[in-house]
Amino acid sequence: MDSTLTAAQAAARATVADEPRGRIRFRDFAAIALQLGLVLLLLRQFQIESPAFRLLAMLAFAGFAVHAFLPLPARLPFFSALSLISIPLTLGLVNGVWLIGIGLVLIAACHLPYSFRVRGAILLGLGALLIGQRASLLPTPWSEAIWPILGAMFMFRLIAYFYDLRHDKAPVTLAQSTSYFFMLPNACFPLLPVIDFKTYRRSHYSTDAHRTYQKGVDWIVRGIVHLLLYRYIYYYGTLAPSEVTGPAEFLQYVVSNFLLYLRVSGLFHLVVGMVHLFGFDLPETHKRYLLAASFTDFWRRINIYWKDFMQKIFYFPAVFALKRLGTNKAIIIATLYVFLLTWLLHSYQWFWLRGSWLLAWHDMLFWAVLGLLVVANSLYEIKHGRNRSLGKAKKTWQSTALTIAKTYATFWFICILWSFWTSESITDWLALWPALKGPYTSEALFFPLLSLLVIVLGTVDLPGIGAVTAPANGLRPWLRDRAITVAWALGLVLISIEGVHTSVSAEFATLMHSMRSAHLSRLDNAKLERGYYEGLLSVDRFNSQLWEVYSKKPANWLDVENAGIRRFTGGFGQTDLIPSFVSTTKYGTVTINRWGMRDQDYPQERPAETLRAAVLGPSTVMGWGVGDGMTFEALLEERLNREPVSKAFKHVELLNFGVPGYQPPTQLVSLDKALDFQPNAIIFVATGREIRRSASYLAEVVHKSLPIPYPELAAIVKQSGAVAGMDETEALKLLLPYGPEILRKVYGRVANTSAQRGIRAILLFLPQVREGSWQEETPETLRIASEVGLEVINLADVYAGHDVDTLRLAEWDDHPNELGHRLVADALYRRLQADPAILFGRAAGGAGN
Amino acid sequence: MSDELMQKIKNFIMEEFLPGEDPDELTATTPLISGGILDSIATLKLVMFMEEQYGVSFEPHEVDKENLDDLASIVRLLRAKNPSAA
Repeated sequence: MDSTLTAAQAAARATVADEPRGRIRFRDFAAIALQLGLVLLLLRQFQIESPAFRLLAMLAFAGFAVHAFLPLPARLPFFSALSLISIPLTLGLVNGVWLIGIGLVLIAACHLPYSFRVRGAILLGLGALLIGQRASLLPTPWSEAIWPILGAMFMFRLIAYFYDLRHDKAPVTLAQSTSYFFMLPNACFPLLPVIDFKTYRRSHYSTDAHRTYQKGVDWIVRGIVHLLLYRYIYYYGTLAPSEVTGPAEFLQYVVSNFLLYLRVSGLFHLVVGMVHLFGFDLPETHKRYLLAASFTDFWRRINIYWKDFMQKIFYFPAVFALKRLGTNKAIIIATLYVFLLTWLLHSYQWFWLRGSWLLAWHDMLFWAVLGLLVVANSLYEIKHGRNRSLGKAKKTWQSTALTIAKTYATFWFICILWSFWTSESITDWLALWPALKGPYTSEALFFPLLSLLVIVLGTVDLPGIGAVTAPANGLRPWLRDRAITVAWALGLVLISIEGVHTSVSAEFATLMHSMRSAHLSRLDNAKLERGYYEGLLSVDRFNSQLWEVYSKKPANWLDVENAGIRRFTGGFGQTDLIPSFVSTTKYGTVTINRWGMRDQDYPQERPAETLRAAVLGPSTVMGWGVGDGMTFEALLEERLNREPVSKAFKHVELLNFGVPGYQPPTQLVSLDKALDFQPNAIIFVATGREIRRSASYLAEVVHKSLPIPYPELAAIVKQSGAVAGMDETEALKLLLPYGPEILRKVYGRVANTSAQRGIRAILLFLPQVREGSWQEETPETLRIASEVGLEVINLADVYAGHDVDTLRLAEWDDHPNELGHRLVADALYRRLQADPAILFGRAAGGAGN
Repeated sequence: MSDELMQKIKNFIMEEFLPGEDPDELTATTPLISGGILDSIATLKLVMFMEEQYGVSFEPHEVDKENLDDLASIVRLLRAKNPSAA
């Protein structure tokens, strides 16, 4: 890395501004305000982050307009008050007051009139208490929603604060403390840069106010650009491991995975940029980290605040404690110590955000490898030094080419290492590599050439966006940099206008439409579905947005989940419901009858003159999150008996064979079980993405070497080349092309088995209670069902006209709530009323006949 | 930059970290840490040099931008620790 800083620039830094400290001319203020107006438009047009954030942005920008003209001594208290107001505004009054109260107790503990050690012990005690509460070991009078934000505010900043209280003799004011912890944009961001308290205090109007504000605007715009790039990659670039089938996909996978970090760098720019508007001339959080030319360089450029925090609190004290061993040894040990702590603190951070400890092997390996690489690099630098320059670095073609080569190699190495870190398991990551044996098409050159282009452009001298030159450097560079910021903002606003992007092309319009909305990616939606069906979601990586959704999930969400409603069977279905199980949840009682059905008790033999239908399906059918009697199956049964739609039978019994986690192939196990109950009808419930889920389940079965009791499914597995014990991702790659065929065999078995026994077989399609791409496979699913002879009842529009949020249990749990079940029961009733024969047979007639 | 103490420190920095660079470019206010000249390793080397050379000892919390970001600050800190340092 060449460090370039001209004497002119250095002199400019030291230049005392013409304006008195903190003052800004009205003309300059108007220019900043106009740019902030553009930023607000950008935030709105692209729905940047949450509605809560956009509200806080408005509060911050309005606050800036007042703050900039207040007397200097009043500004910090004003910012502090604004920050405090933002908390109840975001979290609600009760949660906000609790959070502020807990925070004030922690801050007060730092200032108790006791020795440093005693105060430290008190803080540790309070921390232990909060840990116990976060882990749900102790009761809390406040909502779980405050934990991620409380954690983000105090988990690291309290350490930095306490450290500086001990060593920095300058007195601390209340406004400094409260604004530092409750900092305005923090209320809606669980991830925030670890701002150093000493730097925070010292940076307050440490330089020209206009320049500080302008830097803030520049960084906010830069942050938005990062977030939009992230959004593009998140929506269109990311691949599932099972989709990595050749070298082109492998390269796309590793690059996209690393570039998802743009979200963090974007948010950090946004947050720190916003803080600049209140006079804090804070340093950069990231410095062109894609252009790191070595591992130490990478560590210095990415998340600089973290590096500085670790250096100050742990690295320097460790080196000083160890320096009697010699400088090199001290540096090696202290560096490894820092990486070990980074791993542990990552888990600590996860605990505050999610309430559980994240201790994964590949996490530890990632930090160990990165630590060793940085140590090796450091030793090389100790021995050979590194290029530094006071002025503009003297570049030759050779030195530029060498820098490009080193940067390119570092970039790809980091991409590979990052893919290891962010994979769900080591086996998942290892399963990616056979893809490199695939065909090397021209598509495989795309990412290598694109990354080379970016690195070449970044290495040669080009003006960067938002490089905040000082006005003292000359008016032209200053105006040029402002013009770049405004051009980015204006350009983005312009293309976000419907009339503009639709006039370019249909494809561009579709792209812009997608880019303008914040939603989960195709892959995260699939993961959410997996959690929905299996309850086994592993959301333990920061490069998925799912963790943000799940950070709001209470640790004891649905007590029944922890009470063990299911048992392992060891067969193809793997689990079933525990017979005679009863549990009380916050949504009511969950009762499993003696046959293992979430239903009232029934005799095994069908009573005379009774229509008995077995309802097969996943947790939606079982009624996850609603009490007994409130499932759509129970509601429909009750209504069909109360208000019959057919005279063909005196009674109607709907038997609930729903089991959480059951996939289309597993429902065959339920079918086998249901046949013992002599049903007249089978209602096979489908809920979206049936084809992929069928293939995924067989891949799981293959991986676990489970028996496949259905010859037609076993034959497909054999034909695909998947073999027992194979890695699940590998097996899925082989089975995915057979997805439609697998579903056809599943549905075919239901139809044939039913036909042989004179049972009416119905496929009931229910929509998922979420936005997203779950309906992609629906037309093909329904077509397959019809082709094999199943009667189809399609209730895809059953929730139409209702806000999704009113129908699901929670943001992190998309199961239908009571209203959702009622809507399904009512719609199904109306459908049967219109055509009773579909369930009751040709002799059904109407109730009035 | 006539001060002898500052000159010695400047010489050390020039020799260790900026060989071949124009000494006139390094002034009393040139940012060293924020300018990327002193990274953590270089900072430690400079601290060790000053400890050995001037018989002073630094505390870990003193190794920061406030004390070491330019030659003037470094000399100020050193003088505070050892008024006779020259």
